[in-house]
Amino acid sequence: MKKMNIYKGLGLIMIFLFTACEKVIELKLDDAAPVLVIDGGVSDQNEVQQVKISKTYSFTEPNKFHGVSAAKVLLSVDGLSSIVFSEVSPGIYQSVKFKGKSGSKYELSVTVEGQTYKASSVMPARVPMDSLTFKSYDFFGETKNYVAVNFRDPAGVANQYRYILKFKGVVEKDVVSEDRFDDGNKVTNVIFYELNDLIKGDSIQVEIQCIDRNVYRYFYSLGQNSGSGGPPVAPANPPSNFSNGALGVFSAHTSSIRTALIK
Amino acid sequence: MPNLKALLLKNIPDFFMPNTIRFVLISLLCILFQYSSAQTKRTLSGNVTDAKTGETLIGASVRLVGSSTAGSLTNAYGFYSVIIAEGKYEVSVSFIGYKTTFKQVEISKDLRLNVALEEDNQLNEVVISATQKNENVSSPQMGLQKLSVREINDVPVLLGERDVLKTLQLLPGIKSAGEGNSGFYVRGGATDQNLILLDEAPVYNASHLLGFFSTFNSDAIKDVSVYKGGMPAQYGGRLASVLDIKMNDGNRKEFTAEGGVGLISSRLKVEGPIVKDKGSFMLSARRTYMDLFFKLSSDSSINSNTLYFYDLNAKANYQLDDKNTIYLSGYFGRDKLGLAETFGFNWGNATVTLRWNHLYSNKLFSNTSLIYSNYNYVIQNMMEDNNFKVNSSIKDFNLKQDFDYRLSNDHSLKFGLNVIHHTIAPGKLSADENSSVNPTTYEDRKGLESAMYVSDEWAVNDRFNVVYGLRLSSFSLLGPGNFKSYDAEGNTISSQYYGPGSVVKTYLNLEPRLSASYQLNPSASIKGAYTRNVQNIHLMSNSTSTSPTDLYIMNSNNVKPEIADQVATGYFKNFNDDKYEFSAEIYYKWMQNQIEYRSGTDLRGNGNVEADLLYGDGRAYGIELFLKKRFGKFNGWIGYTFSRTERQFDTLNEGKWFYAKQDRTHDLSLVGIYKASPRWTFSSVFVYNTGNAVTYPSGKYQINGTTAFYYKEKNGYRTPAYHRLDVAATLEGKPGKKMQSSWSFGIYNVYNRQNAFSIDFKDNPDDPTRTEVVRTTLFGIIPSVTWNFKF
Repeated sequence: MKKMNIYKGLGLIMIFLFTACEKVIELKLDDAAPVLVIDGGVSDQNEVQQVKISKTYSFTEPNKFHGVSAAKVLLSVDGLSSIVFSEVSPGIYQSVKFKGKSGSKYELSVTVEGQTYKASSVMPARVPMDSLTFKSYDFFGETKNYVAVNFRDPAGVANQYRYILKFKGVVEKDVVSEDRFDDGNKVTNVIFYELNDLIKGDSIQVEIQCIDRNVYRYFYSLGQNSGSGGPPVAPANPPSNFSNGALGVFSAHTSSIRTALIK
Repeated sequence: MPNLKALLLKNIPDFFMPNTIRFVLISLLCILFQYSSAQTKRTLSGNVTDAKTGETLIGASVRLVGSSTAGSLTNAYGFYSVIIAEGKYEVSVSFIGYKTTFKQVEISKDLRLNVALEEDNQLNEVVISATQKNENVSSPQMGLQKLSVREINDVPVLLGERDVLKTLQLLPGIKSAGEGNSGFYVRGGATDQNLILLDEAPVYNASHLLGFFSTFNSDAIKDVSVYKGGMPAQYGGRLASVLDIKMNDGNRKEFTAEGGVGLISSRLKVEGPIVKDKGSFMLSARRTYMDLFFKLSSDSSINSNTLYFYDLNAKANYQLDDKNTIYLSGYFGRDKLGLAETFGFNWGNATVTLRWNHLYSNKLFSNTSLIYSNYNYVIQNMMEDNNFKVNSSIKDFNLKQDFDYRLSNDHSLKFGLNVIHHTIAPGKLSADENSSVNPTTYEDRKGLESAMYVSDEWAVNDRFNVVYGLRLSSFSLLGPGNFKSYDAEGNTISSQYYGPGSVVKTYLNLEPRLSASYQLNPSASIKGAYTRNVQNIHLMSNSTSTSPTDLYIMNSNNVKPEIADQVATGYFKNFNDDKYEFSAEIYYKWMQNQIEYRSGTDLRGNGNVEADLLYGDGRAYGIELFLKKRFGKFNGWIGYTFSRTERQFDTLNEGKWFYAKQDRTHDLSLVGIYKASPRWTFSSVFVYNTGNAVTYPSGKYQINGTTAFYYKEKNGYRTPAYHRLDVAATLEGKPGKKMQSSWSFGIYNVYNRQNAFSIDFKDNPDDPTRTEVVRTTLFGIIPSVTWNFKF
């Protein structure tokens, strides 16, 4: 997260120097045969847990969830009890209300079109979140405002965090961080979503999750593809924790939600 | 003597070496025996210099008139040596751009003959080649491209900043790594597979300002050679190419100064004798001043930013006596970026080379070099609650001993050894007490890279010439530190501590080198070469461009030396009285132990980076065509390359071969220089190339309500084709004045082609249901002007 500043700064300098020019262009892209995508999670909140199953679609099509129906979705907890998810709308599968537990290993099994895809995730210990604060930085005479997440990282263990920032119900930023450089410290992590256009009375919602290592790597890789957190890398499908070639990720995580009001 | 050879062949145990290599070694030994006993001939040797400046001339030709083979070229220090029978001779000494000088000599004993050549002003035309007239045809060396500083200075460049690396990229087989990028790809190699030497010192990061400018200030440069294949045995350590840059020694006759004022930088060079005709110095500096524009602003958040780089080249030499000369040269360059009180980033190279030339005899020339080379970067975040500072460096101490031994007219031997001690400090993270960042130091890594080589240039007969040699290279990873081994999935399987100086792992490699030419007629030849190159130090960069923070790693328990085997053949032809030069070269290259990453690899402060590496093979092939007009009012060249570069990794792209990112099908460059009048010179460059291989989406899907992309094939797409036309004009001041000045005007990208610097895929901000392809162009049409002076 921290080095984001660096590349943002460098990018700004380059733009200042050479006034880079951006243009929307047409590019012919292949249409690959659709591939299964599973996006599922279990949280430590007493709520309906959800698994979304869809297929990839052509780049030129409008963005839409291409749900896959009639899948068999089963969740086992620590290799014991099995929870059946039922389809509530095409591709959306839900459980009954239950609360995930830190330290438990959750295994998700999805059977669809004769193929079974499996993934597992261990719910990490919960790290209490303190607050959201506002941060502003000066970049070449312009003040940019951001929101920052404050908490104390537990010492001696590797922690990974995921931050989902929503504005008016829409996910605007979905980023991850880890404690490799700040283990055990009071941490202020800035989420680089510019708040400058927001007006008084607007509110933003930030969900902070504690996630396991594989889930972290999945979202870190997803972020690398879009160039956040560093210089752009050669893109690749992020390493999924599903077997059998499915895209997507299954994450057992803790969750806390905070809201910040623009004053 | 043949019996001795047979005897040796039979009795030397074949340790690890294949028979062919043993044969080469023993043949060399036999040649040594043969000629050390035959001492009836005499040696003519000496130095060739520029009469006006005393600067030594590299590659000048010394020939005996009336003899087709007896002759020599001066070496990197301007020294030559010819072996001849007693008698009277006429010696001709020539170098392109200079008047050929004839000397009468009577050889009855060994003779020293130093020759000073006068620059040829009568030609009064742009002289485009630094090589002897048909050296390109007759020399057994292939895969070699040379550039003269004159060429570098006449070719138009971005923002008027003369640039060795960017001009090199206009030659066939040498490709630009991207718009305005000083990184380059040679015959399918990656940017870190080029050995870049400045006065023998390896330069680790040869770029400024994130690659837009190279670290080589052309004012300070005398000679530029790049080997794309057939590398002579004295070079080693990188897979793809050797770029050998030599700095000016400095004027031995008088003090001079020259410089220039450009849009983004100014340059100044001073040089002169330390003791007339005995020693000289050269000092050259360059600094950019883009950040001075910030200072014009009254806003403190703008005027407190910094952005500049500087280069300082310094060299001094002193001739102690006829047999001993000492050289000291250094390069210091640094980039500095700073965002007010929040952030600072600086990086740079420092190299120092101390050399001693010694003549053991008229036949045996020795050079001993002590070289220090350092690259480091510092990142500083000054924001109060997460301030930190990162220091990272790579430091080399390097000892080189090289001998040139003129065995006979037919044999010219080079042998020597090289020991480099590397220290890589991957990163030291420091922070103050209030910071959320924990100070951490990653273990230094030390390695010892050594090599021994021997090489013989053999004129077999009038038509057939061969350079063959052998390089034995070894690399040892040294303690102290904890060293881990990983399995194929990247899990740690063992970890062991090694004490200071203890050897963790050693790799030994034999690198045979062979390059031969067969002269079809005086103006045409065919050549062939086989080269094996080994690389022991690797640059880790998973970004699409190079960055100053890219990480260097050495061979280890996990990382094996990269190996490349290249075969090449070519046809070389000069015509119209050597006015035109043509060459066609074909190569094929096999590469082993190439390195890629797992997806999601984080290189920042990653102590376990080797866990994320994948290893595979590579192959590259291509054809390079080159047509150059070397003299005349109008000169220039056309270079065309057709090539393919592929890689195969078991765990990438389903194990199928995929295009490497440096793969490009067609590369075309046209360079024209027209000397319209004694005062006006016009030049132009046109380049066209197929886009690089790249991974683009072949579909998309939703993850947590946001659009994600599905990638099917690795590097299965192409970036849009790249092309650009640049023009430049230079107006020289009126001749005869004490101060000479000139103006250079340039236009980069004349027809304002919108070349893609990057292509991004993102949802339309106004209509999130649509995904767009966004092209970013860095440089549209850019004019420039530079004022140069000399007195």
